[in-house]
Amino acid sequence: MKLRGPIVFLAGVLVALGAGWAGFPRLIYQTRRQPVDFSHQVHAEKAGAKCEDCHAYRADGSFAGVPALDKCSGCHTAAMGSTVAEKNFIDQYVTPQREPEWLVYARQPENVYFSHITHTKRGNLKCEQCHGNQGASNSLPPYQQDRISGYSRDIWGHAGRPAMTMDACVACHRQSHLEHSCLDCHK
Amino acid sequence: MAGAVLTPAPWRLITDTALWSENWPGVPRPARGEIRARFTTCALCPAGCAVRARCVGEQPVLLTGVSGGLCPFGLSAHHLPYHPARLRKGPVAEATAAVAGKAGQGIAVLDLNPGRTASWSYRRAMGAMKGAYLTPQAEPFAYDLSAARTVLSIGTPLLDGWGTPSKVNAARPNFRLIQAEAMESRTAMLAEQWIPIAPGSESAFAKSIPQLEAARELSLVLGEGPEIAEINQRIGAFGKTVFGRSEAVVPETWTREAAAVTAFADVPDHSIAVLLIDETPATSYIPWHRIEQKLVRDNPVVVTFAAHRGGYARHAQFALPTAMYPEVLDDVAPAADAIRPVFRLAAPLVATPTGVVSLAEFVGTLSGVPVANVLRERADAIHHAGQGTLHTYADRQRTAVKELTADAFWKGLNEGGEWTWEDAKPRAAVMNRAEVRPVEPVESPADLPLVAISEPHYAGLVSPLLTKLYQESNLLLAPNRIALHPKDARDAGVVDGGRAMLQTRLGKCAVEVTVDAAVPAGAVQVGSAPGIQDVCGHAARAKVVSV
Ligand code: SF4
Repeated sequence: MKLRGPIVFLAGVLVALGAGWAGFPRLIYQTRRQPVDFSHQVHAEKAGAKCEDCHAYRADGSFAGVPALDKCSGCHTAAMGSTVAEKNFIDQYVTPQREPEWLVYARQPENVYFSHITHTKRGNLKCEQCHGNQGASNSLPPYQQDRISGYSRDIWGHAGRPAMTMDACVACHRQSHLEHSCLDCHK
Repeated sequence: MAGAVLTPAPWRLITDTALWSENWPGVPRPARGEIRARFTTCALCPAGCAVRARCVGEQPVLLTGVSGGLCPFGLSAHHLPYHPARLRKGPVAEATAAVAGKAGQGIAVLDLNPGRTASWSYRRAMGAMKGAYLTPQAEPFAYDLSAARTVLSIGTPLLDGWGTPSKVNAARPNFRLIQAEAMESRTAMLAEQWIPIAPGSESAFAKSIPQLEAARELSLVLGEGPEIAEINQRIGAFGKTVFGRSEAVVPETWTREAAAVTAFADVPDHSIAVLLIDETPATSYIPWHRIEQKLVRDNPVVVTFAAHRGGYARHAQFALPTAMYPEVLDDVAPAADAIRPVFRLAAPLVATPTGVVSLAEFVGTLSGVPVANVLRERADAIHHAGQGTLHTYADRQRTAVKELTADAFWKGLNEGGEWTWEDAKPRAAVMNRAEVRPVEPVESPADLPLVAISEPHYAGLVSPLLTKLYQESNLLLAPNRIALHPKDARDAGVVDGGRAMLQTRLGKCAVEVTVDAAVPAGAVQVGSAPGIQDVCGHAARAKVVSV
């Protein structure tokens, strides 16, 4: 009977560990589907597209992000191929001229100012360093939205970094001796 | 509990709660949307710097300069519409009734930022109502630094907010600057020579200029004192580096209707029954006791049109809210170094808030002078004259006005453009009568041991972020602060960061204290808050008392 206390404690710890590691992520993240089943791989291999062909910079250097429908319908005026995804894209978006409501993995909190051009042109970072090998993926990863904060669980595309936290930005800046001031990112 | 801390759950919840709290109602959030650049002109001071605004949807999120920088005030101007001290409503009907009730008695408009198109509306309205149009100075001068070789500045912050930064910087390599000032200000630090003078001795120093070694080389003297114009005339600066301030052409009917410009100091005491003050944005501040001196003794009506409560709203019977840059279409008065006519529009970057009134519309309604379309009328008059060029900020092109239609000229101005008439002949300087400064009663050093050194005026609102920066960085003396030499601070029993009472013969005012060895002993550097300016006359003696 002497061991009863430690056993109850250990059981409690195990239950809490299980709930925290297995149950909590299911509870806190809601999986949402992207509007279009998009393959980066097909676009890269068959159309020979490079990242910046669609994820372009504007003339003033700001980053346009996910391309608008206009860009897609430049090629997809009619279905290119016979896949279900392609048919869905043409019927639901191109024909009615409706912008797909893409779920953006890398959406930043409102108080963060992130300049793509500074990172890619001045910092010489490759897209993959932050976004993982998305360019070669055949489908978009599931979008897991944090129910409390509303942000995506994973912005890095499994590029070996944890979910979006300031620590990840700071760690990289620190490595490059570029942690100048709060105002670099927080305007 | 012990198990839970070894899982991601509590840590994730802490981060999530922080991120979630960023989206609470009331937390300002820039709208999501198309990112584009819009161009305008900063209207916070007459420098009128060209601005490129990065906008997300309709919301400006970043202001930067075009071919040059913006000062910290201009950089953070897009925060001003949300400033907690903004005046958002006021008793418009009551103010209108009070002013109408005094019809036929002495009415005047005090314009603290003269030289704008709105200033002409005030003059026309006062002309129609037989009122007076008052400005801090009747005949402002314009200075051409590009023609100067040796400049003597008596306390003028020449390299720190005076004139148009781009012009000052362009001229800077070609002139030698001698700065005579009690403190080693930012301009003094950058000058070729700093002459430390006793605090409060500016006037005496100005009178001694002919005896200076450099007197013969001087091509321009800058300073606040009434004797400066005469010195400039004596050294032959008139017509070389000193001119009359030029303004862009106005419709001919306006000049016929307009009341004369009267310097505030020239108004007889106790003659104004109704005073309407435009203090958005004010480029100078007249201490309240001097204003009071001009008001009739019996029940005067003072209405101030202000964007915040910190200025005359503390004294006036009525404070009516006005829109300010960057939420209203307005033009920018010519700067102190504009020797040729210039016309720039500050196009709004955000919507004009509801409930605001403009003094131009207020006096327009009272007088029956139509003011609704004055900016377009003036742009048309400039276009009709067919002189000068339009410099558009977005494409950095210069186009001769003759090559533009009236609509294209107006559109260009509204999309960030500056009209200049580079080959206009500068206007000759008119030697104005020496400014009549009220005779200050002799102040006794025994009662008031310190001489007040005023910071350059900046009466407008500043972004709360900027306030934080300059309070923490010491780059600028915060408006509600005073700075003292350590010895004087010890004598007064005050400490750095503490609170104190600043006393002069005009009254007292609560201040915060900075202890700074750069302040000369026997002086107190005072911030530019209207409350401090109200109790500190020109070179007033003061006393600091701990509280
Ligand atoms: S110098 Fe004047 S006009 Fe230029 S950015 Fe600063 S406040 Fe605006």
